Amino acid sequence: MNRRFPCPAFLGLLAAVALFGLAYPLYALWPFRGQTPGELHLALLVLRYRSVVEFLVAVAALATLFIWRHQHNRRSGAWVISATLLVCACGLLTRVNVFEVLFHPVSGPSFAPVAQSHLDGKEKVLAVKIGTSARAYPVRNLSYHHIVNDVLGGVPIAATY
Amino acid sequence: MWGREVNGLVLRFHLAGINNQNFLMRDDQTGTYWQQVSGRAIAGPLAGQSLKLIPTDELTLALWKAEEPGGSILKDVPDSISKYAKPDWDLKMKKEPAVLSYPEHGLVSRDLMLGAQAFNEARAWPMDRVISEKLIKDRIGGHPVLLVVGSDNKSVRAFRTPVSSDFYRVNPPLANPPSANGSLMIDSATGSEWNFQGCAISGASKGNCLERIGLIADYWFAWRNHNPATTVYSGPR
Repeated sequence: MNRRFPCPAFLGLLAAVALFGLAYPLYALWPFRGQTPGELHLALLVLRYRSVVEFLVAVAALATLFIWRHQHNRRSGAWVISATLLVCACGLLTRVNVFEVLFHPVSGPSFAPVAQSHLDGKEKVLAVKIGTSARAYPVRNLSYHHIVNDVLGGVPIAATY
Repeated sequence: MWGREVNGLVLRFHLAGINNQNFLMRDDQTGTYWQQVSGRAIAGPLAGQSLKLIPTDELTLALWKAEEPGGSILKDVPDSISKYAKPDWDLKMKKEPAVLSYPEHGLVSRDLMLGAQAFNEARAWPMDRVISEKLIKDRIGGHPVLLVVGSDNKSVRAFRTPVSSDFYRVNPPLANPPSANGSLMIDSATGSEWNFQGCAISGASKGNCLERIGLIADYWFAWRNHNPATTVYSGPR
């Protein structure tokens, strides 16, 4: 009996895994919906391991494509090639955390003497003092950047809002 | 505000996701995910560890400038100026839907609260009520505390007070810019006057300062979500 490896079905499975790794964290951590503890846990688990998994899935997809070429089942050609490309594309896209593209924390911030500030005195600031060094982070800036990676008085700090 | 050093490693954070409208930070160095509001690592190699809390104040610029005339202020990032919040930003945020609801204590999700975690208790005060009352005498974890509104009528600080003292509000004259060192309270035990830094500026206690208690300004739903056992001020205890 000549049993062939079911390349199209296996590639379908690989494509589903690759798509899940790409889409689930985006869906689960989306800002305008609530997150259950289970969803959060799973999304972070996927984020943590998906680079390795997506790489292995892409290698498996390419190997399956190679096997399929030797089987010459050309009727499923379009599906097999599309699924392989999809898996590889997912692998590349999961290298990027969408949130880290959408939001813009500040690293290496610049400061000016407060006497030179032209901001309205009614603006709220997050104020910190370490030793003799005092700094203020206007809420108007923090509500956009959300994170400022800074060093004050020799202490590495993150102003967050 | 958090310290960025953990186990001798200086971390650099990115915003990497959202958990019930509070953001998650990922550090470059270990890939650990941290909850912004608690500073706690919730996933990754450093899971279970906590960032060191750096005491901060949320003040008006005018009041901070009066207190720290030699201080420095974050400059705008040129590419981001058009994206910065407009003055009515907080009013717009109050109208945004919240993903969590805790209909308790007569509060709605976007009510702005001042919260403190001290002496094994989490306690919150409605911001509007604090601003209205100017001086709140309360207790947290059994210890007497004061919440004091600054001379700008917008900034708030909290202090632990001696059991034997009772404090009364002094309403300072409106000044522009606000006074950094003016008298805001008098204590009945010594008749001393106290300023917004929690330090006595006259009387027998002159030179003494009260212990500062950190306050976090946050929406009710966010505070309640991360402090499920919180108590809420509804009047003197």
